[in-house]
Amino acid sequence: MYVKNKGIFLTIALVLVLASIASLVFRGFNLDTDFAGGMAVTYEINSEFSVSDVEAIANEALGADRSPSSVQRSGNEVIIKFGFDNDLDNDEARSDFAMTKIAAITEGLIAKYGAPVEETPAEEATEETPTEETPAEEAPKTGVVLKSQDIVSPSTGRELARSAVLMSILACIAILLYVTFRFEFTSGVVAVLALVHDVVILLGIYSLLQWSVDTNFIAAVLTVLGYSINNTIVIMDRIRENTRHARKETYGQIANKSIAQTLNRSINTTITTLLTIGMVYILGVPSIQAFSLPIIIGILVGFYSSVFVAGPLWATWRDSGVKKK
Amino acid sequence: MSRSIVKFAAILLVIAALFYVGLFGFDITDQARVFGILDEDGITQGLDLKGGTVIVYRAQTDNPSEDDMNTVVNMLRTRLDNQGYTEATLTRQGVDKVRVELPDVQDAQRAVETLGSTAELIFAETVAPDPADPNKLIAEKQVMTGKEVKNAIAEYGQTEQGMTKSSYYISLELTDEGRDKFSEATGRLVGQPIYILMDGLILSAPTVQTRIDSNTCVITGEFEPEDAKALAANIKSGQLPFSLEQVEVRTVSATLGEEALGNAVKAGLIGLILVLLFMLIFYRIQGLMADFALLGYIAVVFLILANLHINLTLPGIAGIILSIGMAVDANVVIFERVKEELKLGKTVRSAVDAGFNRALSAVVDSNITTIISALILWFLGTGTIKGFGITLLIGIVVSMLSAIFITKLLLKQTIGMNIKNIWLFGVSKKKPVDELKGGKA
Repeated sequence: MYVKNKGIFLTIALVLVLASIASLVFRGFNLDTDFAGGMAVTYEINSEFSVSDVEAIANEALGADRSPSSVQRSGNEVIIKFGFDNDLDNDEARSDFAMTKIAAITEGLIAKYGAPVEETPAEEATEETPTEETPAEEAPKTGVVLKSQDIVSPSTGRELARSAVLMSILACIAILLYVTFRFEFTSGVVAVLALVHDVVILLGIYSLLQWSVDTNFIAAVLTVLGYSINNTIVIMDRIRENTRHARKETYGQIANKSIAQTLNRSINTTITTLLTIGMVYILGVPSIQAFSLPIIIGILVGFYSSVFVAGPLWATWRDSGVKKK
Repeated sequence: MSRSIVKFAAILLVIAALFYVGLFGFDITDQARVFGILDEDGITQGLDLKGGTVIVYRAQTDNPSEDDMNTVVNMLRTRLDNQGYTEATLTRQGVDKVRVELPDVQDAQRAVETLGSTAELIFAETVAPDPADPNKLIAEKQVMTGKEVKNAIAEYGQTEQGMTKSSYYISLELTDEGRDKFSEATGRLVGQPIYILMDGLILSAPTVQTRIDSNTCVITGEFEPEDAKALAANIKSGQLPFSLEQVEVRTVSATLGEEALGNAVKAGLIGLILVLLFMLIFYRIQGLMADFALLGYIAVVFLILANLHINLTLPGIAGIILSIGMAVDANVVIFERVKEELKLGKTVRSAVDAGFNRALSAVVDSNITTIISALILWFLGTGTIKGFGITLLIGIVVSMLSAIFITKLLLKQTIGMNIKNIWLFGVSKKKPVDELKGGKA
């Protein structure tokens, strides 16, 4: 059935890939501070607060003509992101800009929600007198705490993007070479096409939904690159084996049989991987969620491409080669 | 049969022992210790887990030479040490970047200011305590500054005629202006020291032997080779040929890191339990063996991480958790194959053998393609991506080996125990049992 319905499967894949490319061209990415350069500051606010209030404070702190590019809330934490002024041409100016603005936002928030409990002396004392640790930890959390701050210069993103593209291309070439060496050229090309399918659709989804793209996203895409090839290779391996024993079967029939024989395995492996990375997503802090979500999407897309795209594509190519002869 | 049970129990004991050592470590002798993942000296936690500040500097020049970059590293090292940031780590990143990691430092602003200030090299006649900072000195009477030094190199040899002992010294090359100032000062100060101050601390205070009127001069002292090189680099860095731009400043509070670590560990545990149950339900006795092998796999990964003292970052932990899900993949491939062979009516023993042999090529090929990606991440990635690449790589290699060897070894013992009920292998008993020939133990 996989090869018989290849028209449908391959059309779906093609449409998704084209839609993704269209979105990448016309909508582009919502680049996070890692790429675009800028500041991302995380505060923990231990009292009632609303995102709009925080946004108003940030607006005021940044000055009249500027506003944060995003204010996101997760639990009692709030992440404020904003870019550099365009007229800052040297690094020192940018660094000063970042530090003053962050300090201004912190001040504004503290003015509204209160200062944190002074924990520093207690922390230092704990090294000599462990007994003092307990009261410090038990003290109720109050006020505004600056939990993390990232300041990234715009030049970093360009290099990051360049190295990500380089790593992806290298991975594709290396995989193509290996698969060609172990199987044959058609399999290599099909495996890499399936990979490109996975990565393009993953990028497309992020572009279409305008989800923010950061360093973790790159690591995730590269993981998908390495992982989704697994399913394809297992199917190719079965095709290789079945081809050896085949007498009169067409390549389509061989592919069909191979996909069916490995289907249980493809499903089960996908499930076990989703179980673990799914837990990481559900329980993780925001930065690790940003890393696990693309992997989850990539695994699902990769399952589709391995089962419904790679095999049929391979059979079509090989069978057309036979007819010509 | 009883031999198989003994062997089986022995393997389980080994896995349990590995797991214990992987967690808590083990002292082989007084000096040698196998580290466990919970040891303080085992894994090093990345800054995103324990909190701290990361600053990445980039040389503002097109092609900085290897020497220049090493000078930058030395200079930053000295400044960090002088300011008491002794736990800081410095790594070169790419061609033109230096990554400074400051564990436990929350005040990014102060760190940036401290590191960002230009290193001030001063040659002084007399010094006085710095009124602003009692640990530092200021030059009361200045001879010259780092600007007048063209180059500084550490050299080895006899520093004075007639002396037989060789030692390390620092050879300075001065600008013409520096030569004039230095010659004037050394002429006046014979027998007195000249203080060489770097950022308010005394680097060296050589006593002037004789008036020096040349473009080169030497600083002698009881230098260790490393000290001499570092000193030369420091003096040179007073006049780096380019300035440094800080391209990234990231601070993570210790509480955020703790929270992240706690959540990740919890996610890992729940994910692990789900995978163990899934395998047990789907593959029954084979699944149980795979579960033991999976625990063995985790133990080995812990041991490797702890004993290579790998810097564990948050994506790195995610990589390990992900690898738990992927680790059973090789087993799934093999077991599905064993099931197929059983359905063909083979005996349990020959089905297991055939399953392992036939699935081997699929397991190896699919893992090698993933290894290729992991290697690329490890070699070309930076920061957290690099950390993720290394854990992914360790995970894949160990899991492949554990699936092929540990699971097979365990399964063979169960066959030795005469378990022939194919339901236990996850195959439904539609066919009458007598159609299947039982294997002999």
